[in-house]
This record gives sequence, structure tokens and C-alpha cells, in this order.
Amino acid sequence: MTAALREAGPPDAVLGLSPRVAVEPATVPEAAEALRALAADRLAVVFVGGGTDLELGPAPARLDAVVHTRRLARIREHAPADQIVAVEAGITLAELQRALAPHGQRLALDPPHPERTTAGGAVAANAFGPRRTRYGSVRDLVIGVTMVRADGVVARGGGKVVKNVAGFDLPRLLCGSLGSLGLVAEVVFRLHPLPEESGTARIPGLAAFDVRRLARAVLDARLEPVALAALPDAERFALAVRFEGFRPGVAEGLERLHALAAREGARSERLGAGDEAALWARHDALRGGGDVRARATFPPAAVAAAIEALRPLEGALGGGGTVIHPALGIAFLAGRLGSATEAARAVEAARAALATIDGPGRAGLRGTLVLTAAPPALRALADPWGEPPAALELMRRLKRELDPDGRLAPGRLAGGI
Amino acid sequence: MAAAGALSVKEAASAAERAGGPPSRDEVARRLAAVVGEAHVLTDPAALLVYEADGLTHGRTAPDLVVLPGSTEEVVGVVRVAREAGVPLVPRGAGTGLSGGARPVPGCAVVSLARMRRILELDLENGWARVEPGVINLDVTRAVAGAGWYYAPDPSSQGVCSIGGNVAENSGGAHCLKYGFTTNHVLAAKVVLSDGGVVDLGGPAADAPGYDLLAALVGAEGLVGIVTEVTLRLLRKPEVTRTFFATFPSTDEAGAAVSAIIAAGILPAAIEMMDRLAIEAAKAATGLDWPDVGAALLMDADGPRAEVEHVSERAIALAREVGALEIRVPRDEAERQLMWKGRKSAFAAVGRISPSYLVEDGVIPRSEIARVLREIGRLAAGAGLRVANVFHAGDGNLHPLVLYDARNPGEEERAATLGGEILRICIRAGGSITGEHGVGAEKAAYMAEQFGPDDLETMQRVRCAFDGAGIMNPGKVFPTPRLCGEKPGPYRPHPAERAGVAERW
Repeated sequence: MTAALREAGPPDAVLGLSPRVAVEPATVPEAAEALRALAADRLAVVFVGGGTDLELGPAPARLDAVVHTRRLARIREHAPADQIVAVEAGITLAELQRALAPHGQRLALDPPHPERTTAGGAVAANAFGPRRTRYGSVRDLVIGVTMVRADGVVARGGGKVVKNVAGFDLPRLLCGSLGSLGLVAEVVFRLHPLPEESGTARIPGLAAFDVRRLARAVLDARLEPVALAALPDAERFALAVRFEGFRPGVAEGLERLHALAAREGARSERLGAGDEAALWARHDALRGGGDVRARATFPPAAVAAAIEALRPLEGALGGGGTVIHPALGIAFLAGRLGSATEAARAVEAARAALATIDGPGRAGLRGTLVLTAAPPALRALADPWGEPPAALELMRRLKRELDPDGRLAPGRLAGGI
Repeated sequence: MAAAGALSVKEAASAAERAGGPPSRDEVARRLAAVVGEAHVLTDPAALLVYEADGLTHGRTAPDLVVLPGSTEEVVGVVRVAREAGVPLVPRGAGTGLSGGARPVPGCAVVSLARMRRILELDLENGWARVEPGVINLDVTRAVAGAGWYYAPDPSSQGVCSIGGNVAENSGGAHCLKYGFTTNHVLAAKVVLSDGGVVDLGGPAADAPGYDLLAALVGAEGLVGIVTEVTLRLLRKPEVTRTFFATFPSTDEAGAAVSAIIAAGILPAAIEMMDRLAIEAAKAATGLDWPDVGAALLMDADGPRAEVEHVSERAIALAREVGALEIRVPRDEAERQLMWKGRKSAFAAVGRISPSYLVEDGVIPRSEIARVLREIGRLAAGAGLRVANVFHAGDGNLHPLVLYDARNPGEEERAATLGGEILRICIRAGGSITGEHGVGAEKAAYMAEQFGPDDLETMQRVRCAFDGAGIMNPGKVFPTPRLCGEKPGPYRPHPAERAGVAERW
């Protein structure tokens, strides 16, 4: 079996760069063979899944070839009793969830665009959605990986059991690596049961300070929501609180939330099923709106300061808005680019403010702001990643060990890696 | 990263050359004493004795010396001295590991982090604790329990094991079924690398840009560097915990109960199984009035009240449906603690029914529990040995205890062979040779059975990125260590070669 290299066309472009060739392997051996061939010709390669996070990171410094995973898209093994699934990289999350649902199971990972986001892409881009509040990000759900290295060597890490400490943790190491250490060719995930019931309540009319206060109260009351997100609500925020589980648990969670909100001087409204779906769809739409998108991370206690830090950037962009995950210390901001100069200044200002955000009792807890999407005009003025990571030199050494010629997604990662 | 002052391999080699070969042990001790103070360098054979092994007591090896740094700066100094002298370093926490991960290699210096035991910061606004590596696991929870918080990973040794050791081994515990392992709870770390550089990895804020090097650090068994500070995620204590103890005619029914509970969409906080021998041992040690039965389960459900009560009732009903003989629900917290004490003491309790025993640690797919336990039973009978099973059933993490009497000629060897066969059963079942104890020195050979050469070589490349000199805990994890970044040139013995744990060809 051989996946032939073909001449690349406009749909193969990555952030404005057009590769010369493209290849679409249908099996892991084909992918390995393709990478060996690309290695022999010393070609610079970018791996592409559903393309949902292709705008994350700078454009590749060089680009000769694109490897698509769309034909590498089978479920290799689903063991419902063991709550694991092994899939090829190119399967979309939506297709995977459709296959799991009849067994009463799901992958508890809910980034936007599940119909396009692929399993391999989710790992490479460290994708996550609102349920991260309960289930963690992809790094907390991936238990095994098969990678194809720059030299075409196929290597496995982790395995098919959740509890496993044998060897170095390649699966988690690849999370967020953007294909710069190798092709994520197969992934093994741990699964969770589909909940019997879901319920979301909305607490509207909150100032930034109240978002933190209410979120803190919900967590302190140990109600254990699966998602907690503040969405724009006129000039203020509405806190969405989602419960999932067995019916008695969800019912109790919503009741107690109602009482808690009242005690805090706020009002919670339980949403009907249609409104619940609409609210979380709005969350995803806000997160993915516009042509400039940013992700800010900060100490969870500093929600109000983080919102303050993001205001100038929000002001510099048209439309869109900011959604906040107060339990995680993460905010997503999106909008349309007006003046690139003004936006770049606002990005720098936000970074400076987030970098010096202080939690109580300790100075210098650092927050970050990453541009997850931006038009070339803004990219030219602002590094998508911001300041290089503290351990940059070590990261470079890791990159050299696994991709000595610097051919995989060169320049895509923080610090120019 | 503090690259300034870091020593390259070449510089290290030329330093050794200028000195006319590697310095003597006394000279190394003198240099280390200049870094940490004379009182914190041990060379007296009697003082070294305790460091010859960790929780895995066979294969004892004397280190050349033991050094106890008290700060990150002192760890840097120690690493520089060792690097220059070509002395391998074996980091050590509380020495409770069960895979020989802290076992010395000949000519090494053991770096004990026992003096670095300060809790540096508790931040309950963010749910973070910043601690030094020598802090005892349970002390983190003790420090925040009054405010209703805890640190989730709970290895059975949590009263004595250290956070640094937990990071090295990616420790789990009974409750990691629901809450995950150490790797899910480490937010940031300060690490001293083998070149003397200090790096800060991770956040603690989420998703720091760049590679997730914390993923490479946690569970690397001390091969990538020495951790000097760790920021941990703290959790609020769940509102309610419901526990029940169920007995069964055999492990078949107990295994079926576990499968039924999981299939019903229940995620227990912990679900533990004991077989007849383990129950017998636990009874002998604790005086609990547990019946004489083929198997028992101990399950915790925790979370908000209504959910937990619902889940607990469902699980009990399911256990009855598949043939539970008896269900006991503790009347109060004291009785609950007693049940858990029985479970947690089962390991040590086996000492009451056998003069010696081996502790194995393997993982199988949960659905295979009953079948694999029968297979282990058959193998044990064939070897003329008894095996007690007490384990984390929810995640298929077996802990077969192979009972033997070293006074009977050949029995210890038969026990070791049986232990190895059990690991092979785990590998064949699609599982792992270790769920929480680590590979260490003990299981390095089995790595080559669970993983292929390319898998291991890829992992070694990751190690090389951190420790190109190969002086950090050599001889662990990898069956055949690879030397990093070899360049053609005159032959020089590598520290790992001198220590007899790696060969060049």
C-alpha cells in the first residue's frame, strides 16, 4: 500500500503558504512510508486534520508538503466494558461520538466544531470545551498514542488501559505540540458514560466581580457542575452552570443552585432543553466568532482583573465578545479586526497586565494571552504566542531530538520552535 | 532557563582530564560538603546502609555517598559537582517506592530530598499548594483539611511517601479511578537538570505556551532531573462519601459486580477487590469481623448528596443481582475508616500468613479481571505457591502478592518467575506492567516486552533532551540505555558505563 504524493492545490494551503505536494495516507504504514519519503527529500511538513485549529501559532517558517489525515479515520477498537476507544487520527469527534452513543458512552471532550475537529487534531492542538471544568482537557483523556516520527519511525506510548505508568508519557507530551514532534496517527482515549440527564441554569446580570463570586460559591458548595461559563449579557455577564449525571443529582444541583444564587442576591433560571442547547451553541459561536480570536489564562481568583486586562482588546475588535471559564482561569475573546495597529497594542497591553496579575498572597502569578486566530496584518505586528516560554532552551532540545532537521511544522510553536 | 554556568559534556570531560581522571570518592565528598555542609554528606558505611534499597528490598546496592541538599541552589551545586566528576545521581524521596526506582547504582551519589520539606505556599483562592519535594503526601492534605480541601492522589503509603517521589512515579492510589493520577494534579514544577540549569515548567495558570514538559517530567522516575518545587492542584473535599463492603462466593462474581456497576454509568471514587487470602490476612492483622468468603469489594462513591445516594443504592442493587452474599454499609465514619484500614493493611497483613511475599503491580482491561485471576490461580497452583490478590478493581490494577518461604530451597526463584509470568499475562491481555509502582530497576527488562524497540528509542530521545549526560538515575526504566548525542571521537567511558548500567555496544 502506498499513498502517492500528489501536487498540492489551493485547499492545501496553511496560513497563506502553499505546499508543493500533499499526501493522504489511509493507514499508519502508509503514513510512515510517506514520512520516510518526505524525510529523504528533506521536505518541511505540516499535518492537517479538520483544520479547525490551523490558525493557532505562526505560519510555518517553511512548507513543502502537507499530510492530511482525513483518510486515516477508522475506529480501531472500542471496548465498551473497559471504557476505552482506539481511533485513527482523522476521525472527527462528531463521528466518534455517534459511534459511542449507542453504547451509552462518550468522549468527554467538547471543543467547538466537532463535525470538523479530528481526534489527532484535538491532541495536537490541546483542544477543549466547557466540560473541561469536570473532565479536564484532552491531556486528561488521552491514554495512548501511536506517532509517526519525522524519520518515518512509528512509535507508541501509553497503552489501552487508563492506569499505566510504564515508560515516558508520550501521549500527554504530544498534547499541544501542533505536529511539531511527529504525526499523531492513532489515539486511545478513556471514555465516560453518557449522562442520564443534563440541566443548565443561567444566572444573568453579573458584573465581572460577581462572576468570580458566584462561581466560587458554586464550587465551595461542592455542587460539582460539569461546566461553568460566563457569557456576555448586555453590558454584563450571565453565568451558565451545567449539571450532568443521574436525574436525582441533576435535579438537586439545579435546586441548590437556585437557593445559592438567591442567597448571593442573584437569580438563576433553569433552561429548557432547547434553550440549553442554544446557550452552549452561543458559547461556541462566541468563542469561534470573528477573524481575531484569543485565549487568556490566569489564576482563577483573578477573573475580574483578567476581564479588565482584556477590555482594551475587546474594544479594539468589532462585534464578538468574551466568554469566561471561571473555574479554569481561562477566557476566550473573539471579534473582527479593525485597525491592526490598535489591536496589536491592545494585545501587548493585555499580555503585560495578565503577566503581572496577582493572586492573593503571592505576586507574579503569570497569566498569558495567545492569539488562536488572526489575519496576517495582526500577525505581522503581534507574535501569536507572546513571550517565549521559560523552558524554551529545553523545548528546543526536545524538538531537536525528535525532529533533528526541523522539518515538522517549523516555527509553529511558541518561541519559534 | 538558567543556561549560564551550565557545563557541556565536552567541558565536563576536559575538566576530568585536567584533573588526571575521575576524582576520588573522598574528593567528591569534600566538594559536595562545600555545597551542602559537611553534616549533609554521608559516607560512613553504617549511615549508607539505609540507602542501599527503597521499598523493594532485594538487589541492595551501596551508594558511594549520600548528599542531602536543602535548597534549589544546593541541588544545582550538587548536580554540578556530580557532572564534573562523572558521578551518577540517584534522587530519593522517602524511599517507599516498590520498583527499585531509588536503588543506587555502583559509584553513585544518592540525592536525598528529605531536608526539603517545606510547604512554601497554600493558596486556597486558586486551589494551589506550592511545596518542596520532601513534603509528605498526607501532610499536604493535613495542611488544608481544616478549610475543607485535600490533595487527591492517595497512594497507600501516603502517610510516609513524599511529593517528589509521587512526581517521579506518577503515583496513583485507590481513588485515582475518579480523580486521576499525580500527572493530573501537578500544575507547575521547578526542576534542576543534569547540566545544572534550573527550569520552570507549566503554569500554574492553565495551558502555558510551548511543549507540555510537565507530562514528560511526571512519571519519568527521576531520569530527567531533580524536582525542587511542585505546585499541586487541591480539591474541595466532596460533600458526601458513601461506602459499602460486599462479599461474594468468588472473584468471578465480584468481577461481574465491578463490570455491572461500571456498565450502569457509575463512576465510583474507588472500588477495591480482595480475594480469600487477602481477606484472611486483613482479618488477622486488624481483627475485623469479615466473613470467610471467596472475594470482597469495598466501594466509595463521592460527590453531591443526591447523586451519591442514588449511585450508591444502584451499585448495591447491582452487586446483589450478580450474587453478593452480604452487603455491609458502615454506620458511621469510624466504621468506614475501619473498613478502609482493613483494605489498606492487607498488603502488610500478608506478612502474617507468609514469611515472605512479592508485591506485583500490573494492569489489565477491567473486563478481564475474573479470567486473569483464574489464570493467575492456575499458574500459582502449578508453581506450588499461593497468591493473594488485593487490588484496584475499577481500573484493573492488579496487586498480586506472591507468597513464599525463602527458607525452602528454590521457592524464592519460583516466586520471582511466577511474578514475571503474571506481568506477561498483563501484557498479553493488552494491559501494562505497572499501574502505579513504576518500572524502576525491577521491571526495566519487561519494558522490552510491553514496548517495541522504536517505542523505547523514542522515549529515550525525550530523556536525552533533558539529560544528555545520562547521569540522572541511570539503569532505571529502560532495558538498554542509549547514550545521547554520541559524536565520533576518542573513546571515553561514560558515567553510566562506569556504573555498569549501560554499554556502548
